[in-house]
Amino acid sequence: MQAWKSPGLRACCSVVGCLLMWACGPGQAEESAFRGIVLPQPWPKVPFTLTATDGSSFDFRRETDGHVTLLFFGYTHCPDICPVHMANIAAVLHELPPSVSGQVKVVFVSTDPDRDTPERLHDWLAQFDRDFIGLRGPLATVNEIQREIGLAPAIIENKEGEYLVAHAAQVVAYTKDNRAHLVYPFGTRQVDWAHDIPKLVRSWTSP
Amino acid sequence: MTWWCSARGTAWDWTWQAYPGVWLFGALLIIGYLGAHRRWHPDPLIGDEPRRKARRVVAYVLGVGLLWMAADWPVGPLGAGYLVSVHTVQYLTFAMIAPPLLIYGTSPWVLRGVLRSRAVWSLLRALTRPLPAFLVFNTVMLATHLPAMVDGLSGSQGGSFLIHMAWLGSGIVFWWVVLGPLPELGPLPYPGRILFLVLNVFIPTVPASFLTFADYPIYGLYELAPSVGAITARTDQQLAGLMMKLVGGFIIFGTASVLFFRWFQREDDPSASLAIPADPVRQ
Repeated sequence: MQAWKSPGLRACCSVVGCLLMWACGPGQAEESAFRGIVLPQPWPKVPFTLTATDGSSFDFRRETDGHVTLLFFGYTHCPDICPVHMANIAAVLHELPPSVSGQVKVVFVSTDPDRDTPERLHDWLAQFDRDFIGLRGPLATVNEIQREIGLAPAIIENKEGEYLVAHAAQVVAYTKDNRAHLVYPFGTRQVDWAHDIPKLVRSWTSP
Repeated sequence: MTWWCSARGTAWDWTWQAYPGVWLFGALLIIGYLGAHRRWHPDPLIGDEPRRKARRVVAYVLGVGLLWMAADWPVGPLGAGYLVSVHTVQYLTFAMIAPPLLIYGTSPWVLRGVLRSRAVWSLLRALTRPLPAFLVFNTVMLATHLPAMVDGLSGSQGGSFLIHMAWLGSGIVFWWVVLGPLPELGPLPYPGRILFLVLNVFIPTVPASFLTFADYPIYGLYELAPSVGAITARTDQQLAGLMMKLVGGFIIFGTASVLFFRWFQREDDPSASLAIPADPVRQ
């Protein structure tokens, strides 16, 4: 017991304690709950049809039926939120087993259709994952879809040479029952996606 | 006015930005050096030989220059808020590269002049014993790499400054033991210094391994920061871990090798002492 009084030993134990706290930090806590924001009332999957980057029509409801679908509205010139969301989702899908990642579709709808040409949208998404789906349509249509879903519509401001697109920052997560039970705001980390995506695949499997 | 680099949260661009706090810090180190040398200027008859004196000046200026580069634009803001690999370059500079240059670059007479203050003498004597130095260096290294600390402190100029100064302070304590610049502070014999260095290889392996082998990014700050170039958050983190382990290990083992050969040389030729002449006033 005398040894415990040694400042050196106590300091060493503190260091080890810090290490253990770091190793077992918040990443391992709260295993059961979702890390996304659970909606008080699930949002139904809004039916809409937009144009994919290959020029074909994309019926969102039909094409994503039976899949977990992560829907995001953004633009390719976005300096921060859009690329971070896409990069984090892609990084996690690449880590998850194909049995899980194969059941997830990521749909990115452009809120800046003038600048997001099909080629640009395709190339931008392909740098994250070639399977990510890019959709385009007139901004009025895209904003109408966002309103129906429950998201704030995008606003484009072009003032004094500064082109800004204000848009909703959350990813809407539809499960296999074709309803969105959760949204993921900006700040959702890869460890959160890695925790939630397998659970989304397993949960709410039937309408 | 941005005095010290911190995470900005905006997209990175290559527009130059001034950090007057960094310049002030560098200027104080240089002014302090010149002032201290003027105040405690040794008798030319007992001072360093000119070549050694020049080497010391070059080492000190190089140390200050490296600190300035590590804290100023672009390395400073990149490391504070965009790339953890650059943050690791900053760590290596502040804790592993600049401190030995600053200690070597400061002539023993100046160090003795600073140590005339009883408080400084007592503090340095206590901290530069091997066990306290080991604990200070490794505690600072571990604490400043905890996700909560990095994510919590790097967002503010004060927090970022605190991290940098903790690295520099712990680095000076660590390298003081290794370099043993003053005989009167009872430096370790060469085998002890080599052992001290080698023991310090293991603990940095812990954060380096977490950085290198973690499945997902550890630091939210860098993961959620706007990207710089095409590097992903995970690749950036792996690069940071490898640098911490390999560059840090190279510095430690390189220094241990030099000490080993000096020890060997000394055993071979007992007259070849590296001890710095003691202050004639104290004798």
